[in-house]
Amino acid sequence: MRGYFDTLKVIVLIALRNLFASRLKTLIVGGIILFGSLLVVVGTALVDSVDASMSRSVIGSVAGHIQVYSAKSKDELTVMGSMAMETPDLTPIDDFAALRRTLLGVPNVKAVVPMGLSAATVIAGNTVDVVLERLRALARRKLAGEDVQAAYESEKDHVRQIITVLAAEMDNIRKIQSEKAIAQDELAAVVKAVSTEFWAGFDRDPYPALEFLENRIAPLASDADMLFLRYLGTDTDAFAKSFDRMKIVDGKAIPRGERGFLFSKWVYEQQVKLKTALRLDRINDGINKRSKTIARSEELQRWIKQNVTEVKEIMLQLDGQKTASFRRLLQGELDSQQSDVAKLLSEFFRVDDANFARRYRFFYDKLAPQLELYRVRVGDMLTIKSFTKSGYVQSVKLRVFGTFAFEGLEDSHIAGELNLMDMVSFRELYGFLTPERAREVQEIKAVAGMKEVSREQAEAELFGKPDVGATAPAGKSGPPVDEAEAALRSLAGRQQRADRASQSYDPTQLEQGDVLNAAVIVKDPGRISQTIKDIEAAGAKTGIPLHAITWQKASGLVGQFVTMIRAVLYISVLIIFAVALVIINNALVMATLERMPEIGTLRAIGAQRRFLLGMLLVEALAVGVLFGSLGALLGAGIVGVIHAVGIPAANDILYFLFSGPRLHPSLSPANVIISLSIVLAVSAISSIYPGLLAMRVSPRQAMQSDD
Amino acid sequence: MPMSRFLAVFGLIFSLLVPRMAAALSKAELVELLKAVDERQRNQGDWRSLVYMEQKEKDKVDVAYEALVFRRSLDQKFIILFTKPKASQGQGYLRIDRNLWFYDPSVGKWERRTERERIGGTNSRRSDFDESRLAEEYEPEDLGQEKLGAYTAQVMKLTGKPNIDLAFPVIKLWVDKETKNVLKRQEFALSGRLLRTSYYPRWKKTYSESKKADAWYPEEMRFYDEVEKANSTLILVKSVDMKPLEANLFTKAWLESKSR
Repeated sequence: MRGYFDTLKVIVLIALRNLFASRLKTLIVGGIILFGSLLVVVGTALVDSVDASMSRSVIGSVAGHIQVYSAKSKDELTVMGSMAMETPDLTPIDDFAALRRTLLGVPNVKAVVPMGLSAATVIAGNTVDVVLERLRALARRKLAGEDVQAAYESEKDHVRQIITVLAAEMDNIRKIQSEKAIAQDELAAVVKAVSTEFWAGFDRDPYPALEFLENRIAPLASDADMLFLRYLGTDTDAFAKSFDRMKIVDGKAIPRGERGFLFSKWVYEQQVKLKTALRLDRINDGINKRSKTIARSEELQRWIKQNVTEVKEIMLQLDGQKTASFRRLLQGELDSQQSDVAKLLSEFFRVDDANFARRYRFFYDKLAPQLELYRVRVGDMLTIKSFTKSGYVQSVKLRVFGTFAFEGLEDSHIAGELNLMDMVSFRELYGFLTPERAREVQEIKAVAGMKEVSREQAEAELFGKPDVGATAPAGKSGPPVDEAEAALRSLAGRQQRADRASQSYDPTQLEQGDVLNAAVIVKDPGRISQTIKDIEAAGAKTGIPLHAITWQKASGLVGQFVTMIRAVLYISVLIIFAVALVIINNALVMATLERMPEIGTLRAIGAQRRFLLGMLLVEALAVGVLFGSLGALLGAGIVGVIHAVGIPAANDILYFLFSGPRLHPSLSPANVIISLSIVLAVSAISSIYPGLLAMRVSPRQAMQSDD
Repeated sequence: MPMSRFLAVFGLIFSLLVPRMAAALSKAELVELLKAVDERQRNQGDWRSLVYMEQKEKDKVDVAYEALVFRRSLDQKFIILFTKPKASQGQGYLRIDRNLWFYDPSVGKWERRTERERIGGTNSRRSDFDESRLAEEYEPEDLGQEKLGAYTAQVMKLTGKPNIDLAFPVIKLWVDKETKNVLKRQEFALSGRLLRTSYYPRWKKTYSESKKADAWYPEEMRFYDEVEKANSTLILVKSVDMKPLEANLFTKAWLESKSR
């Protein structure tokens, strides 16, 4: 044993002497190893941290650890970060209760959340349409004997104010352009709508008057807006429990057993908010979060210009009382005698770096409380119309209970693009094709006598011979119109029934019925791959063919991002160490060749071949350990500095990947161990060839070469 | 030149020129022809009919509707009211002035739509069900004559007049020379992209009291989608009735009353 240590000591001494003797070579080789080691430590620490933060973003928001959907589906499922407008075409799983039982039977599964993803366009109508719709509803209630006089009068006053704004606008166009710029029928309509006679007769029979306003006046406002909403139908209770980063921002959660809609706070701010207010918020963010100035930023100047010119959006919201209040407030704030509120508003929104902060506060403190800042308010009924899976138009009316966001991801577009809806309403909008519906379609086609003609054959088949029936009078083909009208009579009361039904549902309905996919939360996230196999096997066993995917896959392109970055890192590391391997190998080969006589002498005095191999191995490992450790140390230092400072999320994708505004990467022992292991392996491998060279040298050869 | 050869050349020139000359219609003649097409279909009064629609799309189940169509020539008002299937019952479109409204009784909500709205998600537009107003809405341009199966058709290009909300801004139209019935249409976007090819193979007539003459209508319309090539729409018009309708029919209140 002692002899062994003595030998090792000699080997180490010789190796160190050699390294020291060729310092420059050692430094070059060491430098490469140091850089490689540093790259591995910093790179893996960063990628691991992004991976961890992104997994928090994805798993904690919508995806869960695993997403499960029917294996019969045509498309692959992505629950977020999809660039496509259309939602994936998934085959429904028709019995959620059975699916849930199957999934909970898998050992590592902790919870299952039912889901369905879809999208709809909500047409909000223009401002006048919205106000007239409210007035129509109030008129209906008033005629039914309800006591809504005050609200009715206030809404009427608002409509009159709107018409005054439109008339003033028309007058302006006439002054600036010409008489001809205004269509005569439009002018006549406005003249009629502002007249006292029109309003004097309004209460007597409001419906014809309303129709006149809806059809002749409302189109003049032309500020209709569309909301494109992506929504997730789910058991909102289970969702909130399983995704604990979710928090209610405004209003409250959808109560159990009730139908309802929750806006994502991000969508609510970006799409539903009054555009003027949204632009003010953006200017404020630009100045305070991104250190921009109005004087220098063209973007901020553009928003200000839009606010200055687009005051009509606010003007249409003001009734007589509010107009007077706005005039007084703005005259005071601007120290102006101007009485035209539109002009005062334009002046108010013409901000600069000096007065922006004050005006921003003034807007929210004094003006905003009198405005409807959001087109859809919490508590309002929202009508969502969509084309169902079976091709028909289906609408549901849902109460907006509030808005929600995911903690730490409030400003992320990717985490904020989905709104939430109860599963029962989702199923209705999605319109799963039932056998009854399919039968109805067949009946209609049979009664009508529909015959298919292919596109290619159309002209030959349809015009091949003259239509003999063309001159014949219309026959009594098909069921008479009266029958169809009778069918309509059965509709009576449908809306009231629908209104009543839309308030609530039996919570057991959540369990019984279709879902498109389900999020699975696992007990041990380290065993996701095995759990996926178990889930698919359990599905096959219970007759529900399932496809299970990891959260990375379910989060689409975003999820692939880290895998991509990791691949780039590994390829760079591979290249660097391949170069290092060649250089170390060459350096050792040269050193061996230079030292042939010495090696020969060593062999002559009894050094074994193993001794020579060991000598070169130790030489290579010494460089590796020394410079590898230095590199790892330096890398750890860099990670420490980045951790303290944080990497700012420059754009929306990074904000999501970093799970917040900054990434604070942390170092794990694994990062250092991986780095040192690679360095040692490379060092050891690079000493093999020179070692073999040295082993082949016999004392006689060495001495001969010396001669 | 031998006489037979001279005659052959002359015959060829004649055969090439004559149809051209025959087809070359002046702008005024084309407008007159369009007016004749419209006039043939005009009923100058009220209209009630039962229509069936079918939409076929690639990889999807067929969609079919039964609906009632009500029209009033006087002020160009119009209603489509769906009666089948059950899920769509009571939904409808109402046109008043330049507004096209969609109503859904299950939520009691009115939505403003445009002339480009695909009725019930099919490839049909509101104008497909309405009275023909081609002369009023489009400027014609002569494209000569063409054989279409057993028919000879006058072909023209129609370009939409300004400030009119039209489903299709440009149409290529085939009109049967003999009857003035429309046989085929190709509808284009402003960019010149072909959107839809339509066929009108069967025409029927009914005596109109208000017009004091026959009013013609296409009993069958087939629309082939030129963007999504696998999609097609079939419209069948049945049980046309031209008796006067209730005075207050074309109002939101009437449509709402059906489901209240």
